[in-house]
Amino acid sequence: MDIAWEDGKRSTYTGEQLRWACPCAECRGEGGAPGRLARLTTLSPDELLIKDVTLVGQYAVQIAFESGHATGIYTFPYLRNLGA
Amino acid sequence: MPTVSVPSSQQVLEVLGHIQDPDLGRDVVTLGMIKELEVSPQGKVSFTFELTTPACPVRDRFKTQAQDLVGDLPGVTGVEVRMTANVRQSFMRPKPSEILPGVKQTIAVASGKGGVGKSTVAVNLAAALRLSGAEVGLLDADIYGPSVPAMTGSRSVPEQVNGKLQPIEAHGLKLMSFGHIYPGEQPTIYRGPMVGKAIEAMMVQVDWGRLDYLVIDLPPGTGDASLTLAQAVPLTGVAIVCTPQDVATDIAVKALQMFRKLNVPPLGLIENMSWYVCSECGHRHEIFGHGGAEAAAKRLGVPFLGAIPLEDDIRADSDKGTPVVISRPESAGAKAFVHIASQVAARTSIQSFRQLPVINVH
Repeated sequence: MDIAWEDGKRSTYTGEQLRWACPCAECRGEGGAPGRLARLTTLSPDELLIKDVTLVGQYAVQIAFESGHATGIYTFPYLRNLGA
Repeated sequence: MPTVSVPSSQQVLEVLGHIQDPDLGRDVVTLGMIKELEVSPQGKVSFTFELTTPACPVRDRFKTQAQDLVGDLPGVTGVEVRMTANVRQSFMRPKPSEILPGVKQTIAVASGKGGVGKSTVAVNLAAALRLSGAEVGLLDADIYGPSVPAMTGSRSVPEQVNGKLQPIEAHGLKLMSFGHIYPGEQPTIYRGPMVGKAIEAMMVQVDWGRLDYLVIDLPPGTGDASLTLAQAVPLTGVAIVCTPQDVATDIAVKALQMFRKLNVPPLGLIENMSWYVCSECGHRHEIFGHGGAEAAAKRLGVPFLGAIPLEDDIRADSDKGTPVVISRPESAGAKAFVHIASQVAARTSIQSFRQLPVINVH
């Protein structure tokens, strides 16, 4: 996936990178409890393949992976940081 | 007698290029506002001056400037300026939004705190934009306390055509409110997720058609309704309404900061119930204090869009179902609303030149 930012900068991401960066509560953990990604060291290939990307309002994108995982809302500042 | 040759189109554009749009910060030729330019062999110059909003606050100034600048060119015998407006699609999007395909600009009216007159402002803002010549819709996103039907005197139930709800028409506006769908005294008793669904339905399942502006009257709070909206549609911007006292401005600031987090640009702050002129003594009373919203706007670095007086007539006409900008256009309240509408339109035009990040997946 790549993003052309408002200021002209471009960032490129791999599905793998985005999957490991998923910001959702299940992956990250909540209330101090570690999330799923903290317990894993590998993910199956269909977890790493982007199926669909939808715009959320004008502040974020929601990324759906082939595995069906689609709960992560990646805000633009977060992605910008990730792609730096 | 020496003959003066008529100027070329290029020369006309060159002088018109001296007119700067104060809001967009560029000249009107670069912005593509000058169209259908013709220079006749007799030296008559005519062109169309296309504004980005019919509610443009500098409309008359632009016209005079254009006439004077072109009229002063040697060889020009007459100038005809046709003023028109074409509201631009927000964010220079390559394709229209899927959720509201015919809507060019979506403007939310929010406050954080309840009871500051958000709906009154939203109704009059929509009506004032309509009066300027724009096609305007008004979506009442307050599911629990819909007040748009009463304030616009529209109590009819929407009809369904081809599986889509037809908006209610009143005062030249297209309206949709939960109060239209479920009229009467029965309350809507919904948990949060249902509120989101209801608001989405009012966007997707209503046949809004082609609109220059869709004004969205939000309920108080920084929760479900605002979040659903900010996630479902790319809002062009949000106008925040508050009253002058600290207890209201403090909450308005929270609402504004929430929209900032969601990357919805604040169009500015509007101060309602700013002052009251006593009909007995004629004195101006500032019941809720003075300048609270303006000070908050300054602190936050957002525009202050204007102040609206507390008037019996605004309340009375709202209760009777006619926005004050229509019923009493000469009143101080109506003039304040018209001024604010042109400020909102100008700020919205600026936002329409913004671009969102472009995402590509391969």
